[in-house]
Amino acid sequence: MGAYIVGGSIVKVDRHFEYGYRDLAYKVLSSCEVCGDPDYIVVASALPELMAHQVDLGVHIVQWAGRRVPVVRVESGESSGVAAVEVATSLVRSGTARKVVVLGVEKVTEYPTYIANRMYSLILDYEFEVLRGISPPVYAALAMKELMRSGFSRECFSSWAVRMHENATRVPHAMLRFRISVESFKDAQVLAEPVTLYDSFALGDGASAIAISSEPADYEVAVEVKYSSSEVGLPAYARDRVSGLEASTKLFRQLEEKFGVDLRKVAVELHDSYTPYPIALLHSLGYIDTRCELGELEYVNLSGGLKARGHPIGATGIYQVYEVFKLLTGGFDGVSVNSEVGVVHSMSGPDNLSRVLLLRRWK
Amino acid sequence: MKLSVPQFWRVKESLYRLVLTRCLNCGRVSVFKRPACPYCGSPSIAHEESQGIGVVESFTKVYYKQDSSEDRLPEVVAVVRLSEGVRIVGEVVGVKVDEVSEGMVVEAVLRRYTSDDPYGVIYYGLKFKPLKQGNTQ
Repeated sequence: MGAYIVGGSIVKVDRHFEYGYRDLAYKVLSSCEVCGDPDYIVVASALPELMAHQVDLGVHIVQWAGRRVPVVRVESGESSGVAAVEVATSLVRSGTARKVVVLGVEKVTEYPTYIANRMYSLILDYEFEVLRGISPPVYAALAMKELMRSGFSRECFSSWAVRMHENATRVPHAMLRFRISVESFKDAQVLAEPVTLYDSFALGDGASAIAISSEPADYEVAVEVKYSSSEVGLPAYARDRVSGLEASTKLFRQLEEKFGVDLRKVAVELHDSYTPYPIALLHSLGYIDTRCELGELEYVNLSGGLKARGHPIGATGIYQVYEVFKLLTGGFDGVSVNSEVGVVHSMSGPDNLSRVLLLRRWK
Repeated sequence: MKLSVPQFWRVKESLYRLVLTRCLNCGRVSVFKRPACPYCGSPSIAHEESQGIGVVESFTKVYYKQDSSEDRLPEVVAVVRLSEGVRIVGEVVGVKVDEVSEGMVVEAVLRRYTSDDPYGVIYYGLKFKPLKQGNTQ
């Protein structure tokens, strides 16, 4: 039995001080036309225990919405959203449910940014990394330095961010809808040399929902979840190179070998939490060399990516899936692709765990 | 109390002593006391203590605010190649941040990690400091 995305909804990634977890979830569920009467709801969220002192978030969202639907929450760090899609797809494919709503929701503005940073850093190993002073920007910096030693220029990474901001200017739900220049990096706040704030994702609140059904004929449009896979990588400190994204590379090689996926021809949303990671991945896959020319990759991160659309940690994967769904079924607000195939890539940490989804337009 | 004393105590052999895990199957060595090899998954392993001496292979100056240690920023976090051949990532102290360099020889040293509050429990663990001035390269 197949699993098909038949619609969804999102809220703008932003600082939603007026909304909590339940409010954002209710807001996106209410605006999702195809999300009514599901057999199951799968909630993706990474930080509610830390941000809102809330365990079993899924139940409280469903009760708040006045529903009586079975619910489970999926937490897999930054890749929670795509993990939730994997779970929902399994429920549909197995015949357990005919329709599942996958709801991603995250609040990251309940505390000052430095506290949010502390909570986000817990995607790393608390005892062996966080306590020792290692944070996600540290690994990004070490990865960038490795790549620069291999011949990449500093401007290569800046160019990625510039392109993401340019893409985000056309995306209504993006958090950072303004342009930046390579020159602006000179004055950017340094997180861990040589990584700056401009190399980092935009941290914002968000909520996103999609409906996955076994009955695509009942809906106006449908995109099949053709394939999903995930890989666990080595801890970054145990690798020969921090920038060696073996788990992600292996997943994309699988997509090439099994389905002939060419990233120059499909809509693809890459996990670009820090600029060295998409550069390292595209280089390892052979799409770019040290000149860092991204021209042929015209459908990569049309959303603006985590960099500019924003990164509501556990909800981000559902944004990515919704965006590719929209691109394959007509586009959004003037942004479109000439392709019936799309790929979503999600990582948690520096390739500690990576997931991919292959989506194909059904009708 | 924001930190768990039992949790800290439980990992003392990785925080206070630099215990390594040598795989008896694939032969690779990994940092920290582990139940299985991270490279091949074999549970056939032996633990040994590092001499705690290494060379800085790469490093970054960190300005990222995330806890009560902001008054210590910037700090240096480095990839250190231990004399046993294995890499570890850790903070470098006891030297001005602008004087840390690739090739610097360092040794593990017990230093303060964090504390619950100004009057609470202080938690210690290993960092690195220069073994001597100058580079080996």
